[in-house]
Amino acid sequence: MRKITTVSERCQNIATFRHISVKLMETAARWTPTTPEMEAKVMFGRHIWDFAQMADWLGKRTFELRQPEHYTLPPVDAYDAFLKDAAKAESTSDRISTLYDGVLPGLIERYRSYVAATDPILDEPSVVIIDRIVRELERQRVEAAALQRELKLDASAAPKIAARERAIGNIVAEQRVQA
Amino acid sequence: MSEIGYFKVGNMMLRETPARDACFKVVYTDAEMHEFGDMSEIARREMIHRHMTNEMTSVEMAAACVAEFPDAPWELRMELARQAWDEARHVRALHRRLRELGGHKGEFPISALEWNVTCAVDNLPGRIAIQNRTLEAGAMDVMGGLSQSLRSAGDHETADTLDSINTDEVQHVRFSNRWIKRLAESDRRVLMKVAMAIRFLTQANSNFQIKEGGETNAIGKELASPENRIPAVNVEDRKLAEFTDDEINEILRQAGYRSLVSTEATR
Repeated sequence: MRKITTVSERCQNIATFRHISVKLMETAARWTPTTPEMEAKVMFGRHIWDFAQMADWLGKRTFELRQPEHYTLPPVDAYDAFLKDAAKAESTSDRISTLYDGVLPGLIERYRSYVAATDPILDEPSVVIIDRIVRELERQRVEAAALQRELKLDASAAPKIAARERAIGNIVAEQRVQA
Repeated sequence: MSEIGYFKVGNMMLRETPARDACFKVVYTDAEMHEFGDMSEIARREMIHRHMTNEMTSVEMAAACVAEFPDAPWELRMELARQAWDEARHVRALHRRLRELGGHKGEFPISALEWNVTCAVDNLPGRIAIQNRTLEAGAMDVMGGLSQSLRSAGDHETADTLDSINTDEVQHVRFSNRWIKRLAESDRRVLMKVAMAIRFLTQANSNFQIKEGGETNAIGKELASPENRIPAVNVEDRKLAEFTDDEINEILRQAGYRSLVSTEATR
């Protein structure tokens, strides 16, 4: 990822990450009543709140970057379609492996790439937020792995999803304001 | 399961029951449940199992509000997301206590009627009026008295669990009170939606609650019909949840002034 030097670019990235956090919150929320296992519902309940907080932190940062609070930008079409397809996973096994082994590892890498590309002093507030988000996402993956073991869930859906994620380049779209 | 549909009861459309572990037997009426109504070990396990699965339904209702109303104000979505986590923690705590008492999930029949009714409503003010402001406030009333009964029976661990859960429920009821007022200030039609939702809940209840004159439940216990039950009112928690004094007095009046907690708190 090339260096991010302008305030505008930082805000576009943060606003895109916010969109993704909201979509992940909605996916976990949609899966909660439609997934049979009580233990999975319990985990999704926690993660709905995690994703909401991530979106909230990012949304407050956009205001500091000269845009409205909770300014949100959809990602490039390929990543948007990827998230929509991931949300269509049906079985509990596919849902857990798709989200936690397929989507999140790539997202964590994208957050890390942003931190590596931005100015560590001038954009330190974003870096602090992203470091916290990455820790939370890693915790979610550990919890999902424990659930997979407890419920003996198959994780075979993940490699295909992860490969599709890796094939998508930059996720920040040309600036399009979301209503 | 990817979507949850609707089913017809009389002239009402209710939401289908959410996906459930195969171990659970879902029933629809109070008479089909196994409520024992005493403090014996099996009665306490059934009570904990019932609360645990009601909390599971609460996770699902909060989650459904997050998923199905993407245009709601962000701060309200945050409250609902937090509620989903709180209810999930309640499930875990009650499941832990159930296992400590030798119980297991699926041990007793369960109901998802709160979901069936609440999630049939197509607007967010109506849903939080039913789930938070009515059902959770009602549970707050019951849990206050229940926890006292558990302590009297020597089960302080379960009483402590219910007390902690009730503390979270106060916030869920409070945010619904705040948001209904706030939404109604900007759009008076919200009040009509709330009134219609409560009317819908009353109608639905009349289809499933104990019939007039009472009924015998699945384990042979005589259950009084609602008009012959004296409801508890947890005045202190209702005040914390920001019901007005007038609202609390009206609830006390409907309950025949007989409350499990001090009525002085309304002054």
